[in-house]
Amino acid sequence: MEEITAAAAENAGEVTVAAAVPPKKKRHINQQKLQDNLWGWVFCVPLIVGTVLFVYTALVIALILSFGHYTTAQGSVWEYLGRMFSGKANISDPFYWYKWVFCENEWSSSIWAGSQGTHVSWAYPEIGEQIGTTVNAAGATLFNTVFYMIGIPIGMVLSMFFAVCMSRDIKGGNVFRVLYYIPCVASTIAIIYTFKLLFKYDGLINKMFGSSIPWLKLGEGDSIIEMGAAQGIDPYWSQGLVSKLVIVIMSVWKGLGGTIILYVAGLSGVNAATKEAAQIDGASNWTTFWRVTMPDLYPVIFYNIVTSVIGGMQIYAEPELFFGTGAGVDLMTAGYVSLIWFRGIREGNASLGAAYGMVLALIILVLTLFQFWLDSRNKD
Amino acid sequence: MENEKTVNEEKQYSSFRYALGAVLAFFGISSRTHRASKKRARLVADILTYVVLILGAFVMIYPFWWMLAGSFAYTADRWGNQYLTQLVWWPKNSTFQVETLHHGAFYNYAELFVGGFKASEFNPSFNYWRAVLNNLIYSVVPVVVGVITSAMAAFSFAKIEWVGRNKVFMFLLAAIMVPGPSIMTAQYVMYSSFNMLNGLALVIPGLFGSIMTAFFIRQFLFGMPTSIIEAAKIDGAGYGRIFVQFILPLAMPAIVAQGLLSFMGCWNNYMGSYIFINSRSQWVNLPHAMYIMASISNKYVNNQGPVIAASVMCVLPVLILFAVFQKMIIGSLMLTGSKE
Repeated sequence: MEEITAAAAENAGEVTVAAAVPPKKKRHINQQKLQDNLWGWVFCVPLIVGTVLFVYTALVIALILSFGHYTTAQGSVWEYLGRMFSGKANISDPFYWYKWVFCENEWSSSIWAGSQGTHVSWAYPEIGEQIGTTVNAAGATLFNTVFYMIGIPIGMVLSMFFAVCMSRDIKGGNVFRVLYYIPCVASTIAIIYTFKLLFKYDGLINKMFGSSIPWLKLGEGDSIIEMGAAQGIDPYWSQGLVSKLVIVIMSVWKGLGGTIILYVAGLSGVNAATKEAAQIDGASNWTTFWRVTMPDLYPVIFYNIVTSVIGGMQIYAEPELFFGTGAGVDLMTAGYVSLIWFRGIREGNASLGAAYGMVLALIILVLTLFQFWLDSRNKD
Repeated sequence: MENEKTVNEEKQYSSFRYALGAVLAFFGISSRTHRASKKRARLVADILTYVVLILGAFVMIYPFWWMLAGSFAYTADRWGNQYLTQLVWWPKNSTFQVETLHHGAFYNYAELFVGGFKASEFNPSFNYWRAVLNNLIYSVVPVVVGVITSAMAAFSFAKIEWVGRNKVFMFLLAAIMVPGPSIMTAQYVMYSSFNMLNGLALVIPGLFGSIMTAFFIRQFLFGMPTSIIEAAKIDGAGYGRIFVQFILPLAMPAIVAQGLLSFMGCWNNYMGSYIFINSRSQWVNLPHAMYIMASISNKYVNNQGPVIAASVMCVLPVLILFAVFQKMIIGSLMLTGSKE
């Protein structure tokens, strides 16, 4: 309201300068501004309410809960928050769950037993015993998450290659763009079910390459395990790497089309005159690509990297659908988000889930800021 | 003859090098002995491009063909699974064959539609059509309402001048920085306190619109002339009328494209259902139900055929939508790409 009156005062000033303006028009302008302000807010209200309620409130609640000891069995979350603020919640150490995220192993070494009820467990307890002393659940799943990100550079190079092919002056380039985008719109679960059958031990992929790789599960065939054992490598690495590779292959395959479309759009925006000038000056196609096209594409590539890293840190459904049992977290393949789901929702320890979530948010924030810092250094 | 050549090129090449040069020139590569014509070079490059693109397209499409072929494999007898795993182009024991035909040519689909979800893991009254209905509710209602609320916000941000507009917009845009999984538990306890852990958890948040959709429609509206709105205002139209009669029709391409993209996202939304909806309730959506069905298949029942049929039926509607609206969707995505 203050701004409106200020604007009115400004208008009044204008009126005194241009004395010929009739007073009726001044009133009209004020009315218009009022209308603008009113309707501007009215049109935004649903989106603002939704965002505040389902994102910001949830974020604040998650942050507060991560310092408390709330489980879903304790009744409504609002009651618990009330108790926390009136000091009746009996919190001895606000950072208890954050410490748990990092020091879980030293605190509960028996967690690897896995057989009793629903515990975070290695799919194969002996593996957990072997490396349980060095890595805890958060570390193992973070390693998996980062491992899956090797798909990002592979996908970028491949999609750049295809995008360059498609933006050549050939007939039917658009048809290929549509065909390559089909995996992006298809349902993940349907695709994963198909891939599970394709990658079976006696399935099509092994038959096609004449290989006998147990892509999916320990004990399906044992050449890799035996080879690893002969070298003294435990199955966590030999089998784990092979299994993770399946997910990398699938996510590269599924994500290719979207990136190709981004790059094709970027390539069509590259300045044709500069390109031509370079070619007249005698630059080869290869030099033109690296010196003229790539710098123009840089914003698209940067956007792609930032969004892929943010998305890659949140990988959940693919490993869960490929290898998950629905009863726990398979530390050999699961992504970090599986821990949030398992602790926070399946076991109902909302505070621990929220603490895991806050750590994830922090990691993503730091990674994103780091990329923007690299970007700003690049520009100087 | 030979003398002339040495004069021309000042250097004698071995006959092998000379032949190699001729072959290379035929494929459009210039070397010291022969120069290839530009036209030939272009033709060869075009052919290579086609070969690469067709190979890539084959890799992209083949799993879908495999899925379709697999849905016609008869898997209920003891050799069924083995035939299914060895499938390359068409199953050896397809349901079209005489020996298996007494089950019907569309045996797997019939099984899926009638009895596919009859298992202990499901609520007894649950069936395939219930999953489809749930999925339709979760993807049509929030998307239609949500796209309109997003368009409203986009209209306000792009075309109405109001105090604090940019600050509010930045405040909303900052929300996409919050990773979904981080606030998953808080959302879960909130929804549970609102009694929303049935289908409502997948419907209500969507009704309020999404920031990304609003952002893209806003970008689209920026490219539209403001003079239309000014003219309408002078003619005495209110903002509600301007929105319904001018903005909605004019921004329809962007609205439809964004709506279709979010429809596909909701149709395939496995994670939301898995997190917020109890697996034994009536309210699980199609991908979630398929997951349960597939996990049963591994343990007790040999129903891989119906599961693949379910995969086909889950992918098919989205593919048809995409085929019909591909120009709009790809165009919208390209716009995103060029605007970065």
